[in-house]
Formats: sequence, C-alpha cells, structure tokens
Amino acid sequence: MLRVSRPVLLGLAGAGLFIAALDAYVVVTLLPSMIADVGLTIDRFEQATPIVTGFLGGYVVAMPLLGAYSDARGRAPVYAACMLVFAAGSVITATSGLWSFAGLPWLVAGRVLQGLGGGGLVPLSLALAADLYQGEARTLALGSVAALQEAGSVFGPLYGASLAALAASAGGWRFVFWLNLPLAAICAAGLVVATRRATQPSRHANSSIDWVSASLLGLGLGLLVVALYPDDPDHRATSSLLLPAGIASLVVLALYGWRQVHRLEPLVPRELLRSRGFIGAGVANVLIGAALMVALVDVPVLGRLVFNLDQLGSGLLLSRFLVGIPVGAVLGGWLAGRFGGRLVAVGGILLSGAGFLQMSTWPANELALHVGFVRQADVALAACGLGLGVVIAPLTAAVLALTRDQSHGLATSLVVLARTMGMLVGLSALTAFGLYRFHQILGTPVLTDPNLRARVDHLARLVAAAFLQEYREIFTIAAAICALAALVMIATIDQRLRATAIR
Amino acid sequence: MAKLNTVSADLKFTKGAISFQGFTLVSAKTAVRLPGDSDTTYTVKQQDLAISLEVVIAGGHVYLHLPFSTYQEIQGSQAAAIPDLAKLFDPTTGLPAIIPAGRNLSDAGADKVDGVDVQKINATYSADQLRSMFAQLSSSVDVNAVVWVGASDHLIRKAQLDGAFGDGGKEAAVEVDISGFNAAVNISPPSP
Repeated sequence: MLRVSRPVLLGLAGAGLFIAALDAYVVVTLLPSMIADVGLTIDRFEQATPIVTGFLGGYVVAMPLLGAYSDARGRAPVYAACMLVFAAGSVITATSGLWSFAGLPWLVAGRVLQGLGGGGLVPLSLALAADLYQGEARTLALGSVAALQEAGSVFGPLYGASLAALAASAGGWRFVFWLNLPLAAICAAGLVVATRRATQPSRHANSSIDWVSASLLGLGLGLLVVALYPDDPDHRATSSLLLPAGIASLVVLALYGWRQVHRLEPLVPRELLRSRGFIGAGVANVLIGAALMVALVDVPVLGRLVFNLDQLGSGLLLSRFLVGIPVGAVLGGWLAGRFGGRLVAVGGILLSGAGFLQMSTWPANELALHVGFVRQADVALAACGLGLGVVIAPLTAAVLALTRDQSHGLATSLVVLARTMGMLVGLSALTAFGLYRFHQILGTPVLTDPNLRARVDHLARLVAAAFLQEYREIFTIAAAICALAALVMIATIDQRLRATAIR
Repeated sequence: MAKLNTVSADLKFTKGAISFQGFTLVSAKTAVRLPGDSDTTYTVKQQDLAISLEVVIAGGHVYLHLPFSTYQEIQGSQAAAIPDLAKLFDPTTGLPAIIPAGRNLSDAGADKVDGVDVQKINATYSADQLRSMFAQLSSSVDVNAVVWVGASDHLIRKAQLDGAFGDGGKEAAVEVDISGFNAAVNISPPSP
C-alpha cells in the first residue's frame, strides 16, 4: 500500500529526471571554462566534443534497458541505483582538472556515467507514472514526465550558466555538478522511503538486464562517434577511421536492431516497427534532434567566440531560443487539435528552418541590429525555438496514436530516444564538418603586429571571423535538415492523428 | 644542479593570478638546453578561454607560435618581453644558485618524487631572489618554499612557492616539477 500520495511519488521521480535532463545540456554554456580547466586550449576545441556526446551516448544506451528490469526489481531500487550512478558521474565531472590524472578522459568518463544514470531514469519515471495512474490520468502523467524531460533539456544551458555565475566564488561550473549530489540524494531517498511498502515486484517479469543489447547499442554508438570524430580537422572533414568505424558501427547497430526484432518479447512491437507513421516520426525526430543540437551547442559558442559575450551572456542569448520551445510545445498541441498534426508539424519545422536560414546570414555585429525595438537575432532565435517546440506535440502524438495506452510510456521513450540519437549523430557530424571548414576558412595567418598582445588580439579577430563563417554554414545545413524533416513528415505523418493503435 | 646541460620542467600556477601582457598564466611546459635555448609552451587564459603560446629560443633567436598560425621570429623589445624559462636554470641567477641561498632552512623529512628518494626542505626567499628566477613573479615580501632535493644526486626535483607574488601583490602559488636531467632534447629554429 502506498504511504504517500501519487503526485508526490511522481513528483520525486520527475524531479530526478528533470535534474538529469538539465545536466545533458548544462555543458553547452560551461564548455569553454570546463575545457580550459582540463588543460584543453582553444586550438584543440574538437577534443571537447565527447564531453557532450559522452553524456548523450550514455543516455541513449541506458534508456531502453531499465524499464523491464525495474518491473522485476522494483522501481525505487533501480531508480536509486540510477541516481547513484548519476551522482558518481557528477562527482567525477566536478573534480575534472583538479589533479594531473583527472584530465579530459576523466571528464568524459564522468559525463558518460551521468548519461547512463540519467538515461535510465527516463523509462523508470515513465513506468512509475504508468504504475500509479490508469486511464486518462495515465496519459496526463506520462505527458507530465515527458514534459519534465523536455523542460530539463531546454532549460539546462541557462541553468548551468546562471548557477555557475552565481557560484563563481564557490567553484563556478564545478558547483553545478556538486549540487547534483544533494539533489540526487533527496530524490532517490525520498522515492525509496515513500515506496518502501509499495507493491511488490512481479516475480514473473524479466529480472535481468539485456546486457547483449546494451553492449551492442553502446558499441554501435561508440563506433559511430569514433567514425565522426574530427581527428585531424586541419586537413580533412572526416575521421581517418570514418569507413572502418562507420561500417562496423552500422553492422553492430544492425545486429542490435535484428536482435530487437527477433527476440521473443521484443521491446518494440513488430507491427509498430513496420508502421510508416512510426518510422516517419522516428526519422523526423532524429532530424529534429540534430537541428536542436545545432542551436543548443553552436549559439552559445558563437556568443562566446564571435560576439564576445561572457558565460552568462551567451546563456542569455540562447534563452531567446529556449523560451520558444515550451511556448511552441503548448501552441503545437493546441494547433494540432484544430488543424491536424501533419500541417502543424510541418509548419513548425519550416518556421524553425526559416529561423536557421536567417541565422545563416548573421554578420559579426548581429547583436546590434534591430527590427523596430526588437533585436533581429532574438526574433530569429525565438522563431527557431518556437518552430521546434510546435513540432514536438504533433510528432509525439503521432507515435502515441499508433500505440495502446499501456505502451504510451514506451512510445514516449522512443521519441526521446530518437531525438537523442539525432542530437548525438548531428553534433558529431556537424562538429567534424565545422572544424574542418573553420581551418579551411582561417588558413594559416601571418601576424606581424608589434607585440604579443596585439598579435593575439589580431588572431582573435581572424578566428572570430572564421568561426562566424563556419557557423553560418552550419545554420544553413540546419535549415536544410529542417526542410528534410518537413518532407519526411509530409510523407509519413497522419494528418488526423487517429491511426489505429497497434497491439 | 650546476652541471646541468639539459632539463625539462612543468610549472603550474595553482593559486592566485600571475599575468604577463594581459594574459593569466595557467601553466608552462619547457625543455631547456643550457645556457640559453628553450622550447616552452605556455598555457594562458584570456577571460576563461585557454590559449597555448609556444616560444622557441634557439641560438639567440626567439620564435613565437600562436594557435592556428606559423612560427614567427620576434626581435627586440618584443622578444625581451617573452618569459625565458632557460633563465630558471641559469647557474648564477636561477634555481641552482638561488635555492641553496634560502633562509630559515629546515628539514621537512624524506619523500619520493617519481620514484627517486628526495629530501624535503622548507626555505624562505626574498623578493629579489624570486624575481631573479622568474621575472613575472613580483613580490615585495618574502616567499615561502618547499624544495625536494635528490638524496643522492642533490638535483632539485620539485619546488613549491607560496606567497604574495601574484598580480597586485596578492597570494599566489606555483609548483615546478623538474625532470629529464641531461636527457636528449631537440631544440632547433623552427621553419616558418
């Protein structure tokens, strides 16, 4: 028998999920400080990519694993274990650069652990929501959990920058990760205590983690990241291991997919896997994840390196994009009910593409340009965020419409999974391309200024100009990705969103 | 220490801020061939971005390498403004001469550095002695130091300095790890 109310239980689980989701993207505004503290200099910026992709990789690997396992072991113990892993990862991340052995590999290891712990919380929180509620209330509970996950991603960058600025004398960026310890402890302990005498786990349920699948997924993604890693951006856009690692990745991921399809109790119903709407929504989510990541990572970096904003300033610049997402999500849900899912989703992603297209024309003094009283850059960023927000609800609804109520948690998980995959691949690929272009554009400057200070300032101006051109091109690619997503949605998403649920 | 031909050192500025030409020093890694050749990579911070500056001093010529660019020779006052870590090991003005001249020497016990038995010694140095070793460390008061000296070879393996030698006379600390005594080093004028 439950000892506390259901909203409290769900709130505790959701709070932990929110904290983990925040941490997925806190690094995008903290990245320059973090890499400097682990000894990476600006000319080795490409080596910072695994700090972001490491978390996303861990997140993607853990996400499909723990739902079924917690059916047997109980939600709270598995949730607490995930929180423990997340907290351990936070400690490792927070201590990066403090000792000579705690360099970049240490930091990336911390981020991977954070991702593993945080990713496990997604299916657990969704499963708990499904345990606690029935009927229409269940859909609302699942939606709330998914919204918390989305909100965490959206507010992470600004949360990180603000907290680091407030805690400048208490460790700066490190404080953001230290703070995870008490927060994780409160959520985990609260949930364990609250559910101590709750329903006993089912002994018939699958009581083991599918380590083979986990290993295949982790290995496949790891190989993909290696394949896309810019190991020599001075000379080429791709890794020297692109072909071998890329092919190996595809083989391993195909094995993972084959295993999922052919298992006696596959994670995803086979009919769902064959559904055009499901495939379309998945592909669109992958593309949206890539576009979302472009804005999340590149806007703060552009703010720092080109517009000379500080950590908080670059976070605030990104906030124009971020506020658009939740507003768009609510708007998208409302509009989809009136005008149909496909129209709204396509409209949203095209608006976002238009925003990226405008961003691809930004000059170095962009932040001084206004449309009336409003800064031009703010309009483009807000439109971009709004468009991506608008598309979230219809796309999620498209997947939910194809599944039974009992599978809504799984379906929502799959939407998040697809988007996170898109983020991971998009970031890896666009970083490789971007750094290659950066080196091409910058060339090898010859500096003849009269003193070191003047030379570095001159170099900084050349670097800023090269970064600006690089990001313009990346924003153009992001606009093209949005257009491609629109085509996919036109071809696959049901306008009425009333497809028959697949059993 | 006085018989050194080549040596390597890692400097880490672990507390406070020490600046030159508007950059905050984070660390420096150097290979030195005495009397005056060195290849040093300084890591400096501008705001919170880390930048590496490589300085090669060979045969009296000073070459600067900034990120993304080629090596360029610098001369005159420009060259003089660049810290020269070879001076840190100068037998008359650097560590070999200054370290034994410390005051308030006291034995802080035995220790090991990189597997080598060393003797730990506490000492105090004057502001002038400090500046003589590394011009960017400006202090108006005495500075405390801990020095790790090889028990058998008497080579200085490590030193920690702590005192008011940071920017504006604020507290700062620097750690110097010294290795590669008389090992082969390759310091040659870089091709631009």
